[in-house]
Amino acid sequence: MNAIRAIGGILKGMSVTFREMFRPTIVENYPDGAGPYKGARFEPRFRGLHVLQRDESGLEKCVACFLCAAACPSNCIYIEAAENTAERRISGAERYAEVYNIDYNRCIFCGFCVEACPTDAITHGHGFELATFNASNLVYRKEQLLAPMPKEIQSAVQREELRAHAPEMAH
Amino acid sequence: MADVTITIDGNKVTAPAGTLLIEVCKSIGTEVPAFCYYPGLSLQAACRMCLVEIEKMPKMQTACTVPISEGMVVHTTTDKVRQARKSTLEFLLGNHPLDCPVCDAGGECELQDMTFSYGAAESKFMEAKLHRDEQQWSPVVFFDRPRCILCYRCVRVCGEAMDVWALGVQNRGSASIIAPNEGDHLECEECGMCIDICPVGALTSGAYRYKTRPWEMKHVGTTCMHCGDGCKTTLGVRRHETGMQIVRGDNRDKSGINGDFLCIKGRYAFDVTHSDERLTQPLVRHEGRLTPATWEAALELVASTFKRIRDEHGGSAIGVIGSNRTTNEENYLLQKFARVVLGSNNIDHHRTADFPALAAALKNTQVRTAGMRDVFNAKTILLIGNNPTDQHPLLAWQIRNNVRLHKARLFVVNAQDIKLHRQATAFAQVPSGSEAFAAAFLAGNDSVGESVGGDARNALLAMRQALKGAEEAVVIFGSEIRGAQVKAAVNLASALNAKIACLGDYANSRGAADMGLYPDLLPGYAQTSSEIFTGHWGALPEQPGWNIEQMVNAARDGQLRALLCVGSNPVVRYNVDPFVLQKTFLVVNEMFMTETASLATVVLPAACAYEKSGTFTNTMGDLQVVKKAGDLAGTKPDFEIVIEIADRMGFDVRKLVSLGGGTRADMGQSRGAQTGEADRHAVWLEAQNLEPRMTPFDPAAVLDEIQRLVPGYGEASRLNVAAGNDEHTTALEAGQGSATSDPDLVVPSEDTLFTSGTLGRYSNTLHSVIESRRKVPADKKTPV
Ligand code: SF4
Ligand code: SF4
Ligand code: SF4
Ligand code: SF4
Ligand code: SF4
Ligand code: FES
Repeated sequence: MNAIRAIGGILKGMSVTFREMFRPTIVENYPDGAGPYKGARFEPRFRGLHVLQRDESGLEKCVACFLCAAACPSNCIYIEAAENTAERRISGAERYAEVYNIDYNRCIFCGFCVEACPTDAITHGHGFELATFNASNLVYRKEQLLAPMPKEIQSAVQREELRAHAPEMAH
Repeated sequence: MADVTITIDGNKVTAPAGTLLIEVCKSIGTEVPAFCYYPGLSLQAACRMCLVEIEKMPKMQTACTVPISEGMVVHTTTDKVRQARKSTLEFLLGNHPLDCPVCDAGGECELQDMTFSYGAAESKFMEAKLHRDEQQWSPVVFFDRPRCILCYRCVRVCGEAMDVWALGVQNRGSASIIAPNEGDHLECEECGMCIDICPVGALTSGAYRYKTRPWEMKHVGTTCMHCGDGCKTTLGVRRHETGMQIVRGDNRDKSGINGDFLCIKGRYAFDVTHSDERLTQPLVRHEGRLTPATWEAALELVASTFKRIRDEHGGSAIGVIGSNRTTNEENYLLQKFARVVLGSNNIDHHRTADFPALAAALKNTQVRTAGMRDVFNAKTILLIGNNPTDQHPLLAWQIRNNVRLHKARLFVVNAQDIKLHRQATAFAQVPSGSEAFAAAFLAGNDSVGESVGGDARNALLAMRQALKGAEEAVVIFGSEIRGAQVKAAVNLASALNAKIACLGDYANSRGAADMGLYPDLLPGYAQTSSEIFTGHWGALPEQPGWNIEQMVNAARDGQLRALLCVGSNPVVRYNVDPFVLQKTFLVVNEMFMTETASLATVVLPAACAYEKSGTFTNTMGDLQVVKKAGDLAGTKPDFEIVIEIADRMGFDVRKLVSLGGGTRADMGQSRGAQTGEADRHAVWLEAQNLEPRMTPFDPAAVLDEIQRLVPGYGEASRLNVAAGNDEHTTALEAGQGSATSDPDLVVPSEDTLFTSGTLGRYSNTLHSVIESRRKVPADKKTPV
């Protein structure tokens, strides 16, 4: 009786294994998967590496109001403001962030900065591979945080610059 | 007026009848929000924010205009009042842009605060808001019209308090707009008072706009480094790659002798601190050219040369010229260094007023000196010479507002028709150079009447009548009166039973004088043999040394072999022939490559007054604290430079800076009252509840010694000074002075509102305003 009961137990257990073998897999293929996150998938509201957004015309949304820095409980956002000029327009409003650093040694991914931002400029992206052997690499500069320029605008801007600097090559 | 008792929210309050209700509420801590009401300005009742309920009155009343009367029952917290505030805010925000994130006022905006406190954050208006682009009215004043809430504070402060009347209102009702006097731009004193007083971000400052936010800065309360009035100013500082950079100047808490006031120099001319032309590296002349050197090499060269010249030719072969812009501690240290370390009385500075003569004239009289606050409260002011509107902007403000608010009588005697004539009860125009005769005539000396001419004589005669029986008077005179003539001003003050003040230029010219930057006077206007000092410093050179002119002559003859010139530009000020200084080992501590610095053998880059700590004494004798705000890598304060030179000359710096007895733990066994060898400084420190200082670089250690030794400084409360308040000092009354000094050595700076000696030449802001390019001074233009 004991042997039968033991075999029954094993079969019962194995039946789960066999059943699962034919179901779709839920393990993520990280880090061998495709895409920027190497197969890792996130809930939409996951709070990862920040992204500084641009508006429809490619201008930076951040107006250097310092509210995110004020809201930050770990005091890890550093900003230097500067004024837009007619020739050099960086953001949509009068002012833009000339320097915008986030120190990921200290950031606790609380999302307060995102909450505070009046222009929805700072957002949490899904970047998560931040580990490094050198702590100074963890201070991210604005260039590392900025969303890429939308493709069509980028090429328009390049054309514009070309026209200004080398008109004969613009076509 | 008689006291009345009223009831505010159930609390009984007693106050003089006629007091404004809003002030009574404020005095018991009941907040009544207000935009257009501003203490000291005329009443406007434009914003309707201060509405309160008063029983038996049919409608709600504006607390800012209602004088209280007996039995009034006031409610400030009812639903009706709360709703009124909310609705007022809703109207104000109806066309107000959502600019807070970029608006300079954000974080210290009264409209923001009110909206937080009283609600109305949601708007019921659907209409698109009216937009107008920002306008630049001058290099320092910008106007963002949609943000304006039409409180008219700017119009009133510019007109009533500044007496400039450069701002006005166009149109009526909801179409009103604030407009500058020249249509599209401003021509005015560029004081920035309008920006400071604007409750919102409508008027913004050219220097500060869009740079940072209020909570991102460190705020350091210090004393203005420009003219001799000593306004308290708060500098906003932020981190910068070369140290700490100053980005804003204002008087944030409206405290100090200047209250609301700052002129363009105090508010904007901090920009000299981060001028591109600042020297940040010592320079040593090498094969005829000034070449960069290290601090060590430069200081070593200076110290070894000074030591060699002193040992070979005696101290009198070395001269020292001090500054009008260094702190009291630095001036005191510098002359002590000259006398004790170099063994030379050859020390002088650029004199802008004859303080030694005043000290001598005050001897054996009852006349006291007036402080800056006295000018605001005096009942009678007699101003002889000078043009305060240009040269002493704060003094002019004090006089104007005393006349406006307290109905003081102002009497002006001047060679020019100065702007303060407009506030004057009586004005007498006397020929240039006869100011002292006018003073003597006013004091009752008829024999000098002819010297001032007929018309002026009649005007002065009338003035003499009007001055009879004047109470609480102040006599203020400029550098027109100097030398033996100062006696005439003192006699007049004595006859009127008045206090007296003498006007010198630059932030610490009075301090330079009080601290003994004279060849014939020790600190406190004491004689060079004064026992106060020989008793503490040991033997001092007794013969008076050379003044600036004599030093220059000695340099020409080859007798002056070395000259240390600290923050001063004698080559321009005293018109020195550059070739005269060729043979002299010239060391210059400077911020910029001035005419004098370019002749030097060694140039040491000095920190300015905003980059060090200490104290200043303004021209009226008010002692105030100077605090370190900015920081520029590569520079050193003059205090440190002098100590390092002394140290490298092999001098025991403990004898230069009183470190007290605290750094050697002798437990009072070898030194102390019982042993007969008392460390008098340590005893004094203990009696004053002060700590012994631990480092020779601590200016407070020198302030201790100043307070212990210099007559007239001892009574100043350290606590009060450290807390950012002013303390009146009386070195002029206490000292001996010298009636023999050469009046020709007094060279007034003739600064206008837009110049500030050598320093002002490096301020971009002062250059950028168009008024700085006009030929006539501020007050010559007919008012609009
Ligand atoms: S990211 Fe947003 S909150 Fe931060 S400074 Fe920029 S606009 Fe302001
Ligand atoms: S004035 Fe005040 S309320 Fe208006 S945008 Fe500026 S900070 Fe905001
Ligand atoms: S800067 Fe001064 S003088 Fe000029 S408009 Fe403003 S308040 Fe008037
Ligand atoms: S500019 Fe400022 S101070 Fe002047 S009326 Fe408008 S809100 Fe008031
Ligand atoms: S009045 Fe004189 S002390 Fe006051 S801010 Fe102007 S320059 Fe500075
Ligand atoms: S403060 Fe009373 S109406 Fe503006």
